[in-house]
Amino acid sequence: MLFRYLFILLILLPLKAFALIEVDITRGNLNPLPVAVSPLSIDEKSKSNFKKILKKEDLGSEISAIVENNLRQSGLFNPLNKNAFLQKPDIANLKPRFEDWNLIKAQALITGKVTFVDEKLRVEFRLWDVLAGKEMMALAFTTVPSNWRRVGHIITDKVYERLTGENGYFDTRIIYVSEEGSKTNRIKKLAIMDQDGFNNKYLTLGNELVLTPRFSPTNQMVTYLSYFRNLPRVYLLDIETGMQEVVGDFPGMTFAPRFSPDGKKIIMSFAKDGNSDIYTMDLENRIVERITNHPSIDTSPSYSPNGKYITFNSDRSGYQQIYVMNSSGKNVKRISFGNGIYGTPVWSPRGDLIAFTKLHKGKFYIGVMRTDGTGERLLTENYYQEAPSWSPNGRVLIFYRETKTNSKGEGFSAKLWSIDLTGYNEKMVNTETDASDPSWSSLLTN
Amino acid sequence: MNLSKILKNGFLVIVASLVLTACATQKKIGQTQGDVYTGTDSVEYLASGVKDRVFFATNETVLTTASRETLRKQAAWLRKNSKITIVLEGHADERGTREYNLAIGERRANSAKDYLMTYGISSDRISVLSYGKERPVDSGSSPLAWSKNRRSVSVKAN
Amino acid sequence: MNRNITISFGLHALLVIITAMSLPFLAKKPIDLPPIVSVELIQISDKTNIPFAPKAKKIIEKVKEKEKKKKIVSEQAPPKMVKKEKQDAIPLPDEKIEKIKEIKEEKQNPEKVETEIKQVSEFEKKDLFDPNSIAALIDKSKVETALTREKTDKITQDQDKNIDFGGLSLSEEDALKAQIFGCWSIPLGLPYNENLLVRIKLQLKPDGSIMRSEILDHARMNKPGQGFYKVLAESALRAIKLCQPLRVPTTGYERWKELQLNFDAREMLEG
Repeated sequence: MLFRYLFILLILLPLKAFALIEVDITRGNLNPLPVAVSPLSIDEKSKSNFKKILKKEDLGSEISAIVENNLRQSGLFNPLNKNAFLQKPDIANLKPRFEDWNLIKAQALITGKVTFVDEKLRVEFRLWDVLAGKEMMALAFTTVPSNWRRVGHIITDKVYERLTGENGYFDTRIIYVSEEGSKTNRIKKLAIMDQDGFNNKYLTLGNELVLTPRFSPTNQMVTYLSYFRNLPRVYLLDIETGMQEVVGDFPGMTFAPRFSPDGKKIIMSFAKDGNSDIYTMDLENRIVERITNHPSIDTSPSYSPNGKYITFNSDRSGYQQIYVMNSSGKNVKRISFGNGIYGTPVWSPRGDLIAFTKLHKGKFYIGVMRTDGTGERLLTENYYQEAPSWSPNGRVLIFYRETKTNSKGEGFSAKLWSIDLTGYNEKMVNTETDASDPSWSSLLTN
Repeated sequence: MNLSKILKNGFLVIVASLVLTACATQKKIGQTQGDVYTGTDSVEYLASGVKDRVFFATNETVLTTASRETLRKQAAWLRKNSKITIVLEGHADERGTREYNLAIGERRANSAKDYLMTYGISSDRISVLSYGKERPVDSGSSPLAWSKNRRSVSVKAN
Repeated sequence: MNRNITISFGLHALLVIITAMSLPFLAKKPIDLPPIVSVELIQISDKTNIPFAPKAKKIIEKVKEKEKKKKIVSEQAPPKMVKKEKQDAIPLPDEKIEKIKEIKEEKQNPEKVETEIKQVSEFEKKDLFDPNSIAALIDKSKVETALTREKTDKITQDQDKNIDFGGLSLSEEDALKAQIFGCWSIPLGLPYNENLLVRIKLQLKPDGSIMRSEILDHARMNKPGQGFYKVLAESALRAIKLCQPLRVPTTGYERWKELQLNFDAREMLEG
């Protein structure tokens, strides 16, 4: 009898001891985060001042429109329709009524204020967590009024960083080759624009063929290939002054140039007697150093962000493949082993990946692989595309595509495209002419 | 009677053979052999019978038999006209990456240059210029168009 | 004689006809040889698989299809054409942007300083308990009881610690998970190769709304180099807020009134 009671007790006891239940949440959604970008509030006096200087009706709305567009283009955010906003910009900036913003399903809110102070443009903005009902970030800065577009980009960078944990890439510029004319008679010019397509300017006149421009780490200089006087050589261009100078005094074609991460050297290919090898030239002391010495074609060199390694393209195995070596040229290792031909390797600014172009069975691919060659991922496929360039946060690739021509040789076009590292958000980058050979600057604000 | 018979037969034979030969002439226009262009479309002449260019297979920089024959004729012409200097322009098709194509154009031009030199033409008279895929001669998007663009062209420099 | 002529003519005519009929074979178009590339067969899909968890991949594919239909294009106002003959020097912005500085503390934001440290406190401030909705829920629960009653003595798969009678049933757990999956917007900027686990302990009211929440590793949120952890934790908190009231079982409140949610973004980010 006792036994039975004990037995029942033993069974019943565990019923009372509830342990903490744990539930593993291992999945979520990848939907763009709904965010409300309120127009920046601006007082009447500042408004009229800016209208006089910049010819813009409402600078507060103009700047918030830049932020909105940037966030939408990133593919990670969904800026909500302004017509649904209940709170006015000036009040929202002081104390948002979170219920109002919750109503339209915003999870984050950006508010701010623009003022004209001492002939300068002063901006303050705040980022709010609508669900938690608290302020996440508040910043202010001052600049010259003509920088007003950059203000929008800088705000986007700060918001993007705070919400994703990633560095931004919006206060940047893109340099590229503008193309016009028929395929057999192309006019090419160097061009530069803001990352969102605005402020486009031409840096050369189109009198000589120009190719593959790349930014210096400080974004002040560009290195590129020019056929000035029918002699293809690597040149340097100072963006501010427009001055061009040839790099070194090579007795043959130099091409495929890039800057070293410290900006002190140019790395490039030098072709002589049918062989192309990789060389560097120090911009200060003009010392030329030979990096590869092999009868194969070695080209498209790209430094790792710490300057210790170089990835490059070589056909020493018979076909174009990707290799990695020490920056001294020693320890050359092949890293591409898939089926097909690999080219244009470019090291990510994060140091973790190398992007490339691949050609296989008549199709072109843009892909990435780890720096040891593993984890190859192809992001997009097309009739013709090549030459990826990384955004400064190592998350977005910009490249270019060309179309087929019809039987009459007509219909050719070349355009810039971009895609996220996840293979998501593939879209065309609008340029006023055809375009190719894009290169992304680093963040203009440091 | 015999004469008219002969004439009739003869006439029929002539018609038949004309018909046969007419078919034959259509064969050679616009051809490639093993991916190397063998046609004459886009080919110009440095002198009578001396073609100005040689063609290559995809990704290749080696000279074919036909190319060597063309270059021998060029060498002969250059020996005869010892004052002339030339630029060898190397080109690639568009189905490749831009920078590598610049290198391959240079290599193709040098293949031609080396061959000319073995026939006694001094390297002082020959300079090399690569255009990669930047100067296609045929803007089509077909293997035939591409084969016409994979070339090394000898251009008179003076 | 005539017979011979006829035969001769006929044979010649036959020759002509044969020749004419064989013309199409001779006038073939030249064969377009494909460019020579390596011919090994590969399964492209093996290489193009984005390393996401299978569900994420489907979501991405669905969104990708939507994108294809939408054709997103960057906006751009056409810039002015440069008409000058000479080369135009490009002026950089004259002055660099001056100090970016934090806004000084203003009266209405006393919370700003403390935000970094005390995460839990905000949730205590807000009044989440609404007596009216409870009544409605109680009525509802009577109807739902019949539907949601499951075996409660099953051991759930991820809880070794739990004893038979204390856990959520598989379907209860799945229901809660599915709800939160929908609410959790995972920030895509997180590093692939770090610990991406955020554990949040919740105290719940019977209706599924949250009384109290606590991030178990919240000291980590302010560690240098772990900035992404803060972003991740905030996204998890947003998910919970968005999902209130949680899809909790209708009975056994004692079992689940304290619940721990382990948000792990790793599977989504590296597959």
